Amino acid sequence: MTAPNSAERKACWDARDHLWKCLDDNDDSVASCQRFRTEFEAKCPAQWVKYFTKRRDFLKYKDKMQTEGFTPAQGPQGS
Amino acid sequence: KLCRTRSISRPAQVGGRPQARFLSGDRDTAAAAAKLKLRTRLLVTVLFGGSLLGVWWYVHAEREQKLQRQRVEQLRQVALGQGTFSLVDHTGRRRTKRDFLGSWVLLYFGFTHCPDICPDELDKLSAAVAALDRNASLPPVQPLFITVDPERDDVAALARYVKDFHPRLIGLTGTAEEVKHAGRDYRVYASPGPKDEDGDYIVDHTILIYLISPDGLFLDYYNRMKSAEQIADSVRKHMESYVTL
Repeated sequence: MTAPNSAERKACWDARDHLWKCLDDNDDSVASCQRFRTEFEAKCPAQWVKYFTKRRDFLKYKDKMQTEGFTPAQGPQGS
Repeated sequence: KLCRTRSISRPAQVGGRPQARFLSGDRDTAAAAAKLKLRTRLLVTVLFGGSLLGVWWYVHAEREQKLQRQRVEQLRQVALGQGTFSLVDHTGRRRTKRDFLGSWVLLYFGFTHCPDICPDELDKLSAAVAALDRNASLPPVQPLFITVDPERDDVAALARYVKDFHPRLIGLTGTAEEVKHAGRDYRVYASPGPKDEDGDYIVDHTILIYLISPDGLFLDYYNRMKSAEQIADSVRKHMESYVTL
């Protein structure tokens, strides 16, 4: 399969941005944003869907760490 | 009697002795001397302060130059890009490192199936080169793109890809061995991920733009945090301080 060209990349990024905006507005409710999700999956190669989904998870996690703070995992307990 | 009147008429007199006359006469000269002393003191302070500033500025400039020299020396010792590479460009023409000697080069490793980072970095690289192009007194910079995905990025794929960026951008590919050799030269990390049902995969790789001098030596690098303006400024500084070997 050939790599997406410039126009196709932009179409994918726009679909992703619409989906992410919807998720942001709807408290990450995938059900509310099903339409955008379908559009996103149609416009982007499967690998990119996976990649951007993981990226969003990571960005949310990073946000959480920065706002809520980080409690280090407790080491082995007991003797 | 005369003596007494004369002594009274003089102000700060101490019993009309010659001493009083000496003191009052000396007040005028004392005032003049004080003014002179003040002017001299001011002059001395200004000169002293000025020379302190001068010394500080000189030391600062020397230190900056020394830091720049140290950095170049450190990068030289890291010895990136010392070897040669032999690759094929996006027009099918074979190119080796020798072909780019004599030019300033900005080099980026990536792959055409890259979701967002490579297009972003290549846009940034193109913008930096365009900014440098606007300065007619500087030599033209050669932008290069070397693939880390030779399996999919053949000559045709590269040709389709590079036309979206700076007109002078040259894409380079080759056999797996040739590409690996070029990547190793710049200590580029590249790791193809698992293939999905479409046979598609993402290549995890080092995200850096390398600056190479006309001698073919690696001089500097720019990560994702650097903007196009910052890169252009840095390249300009390197060009201005560059001394041909």
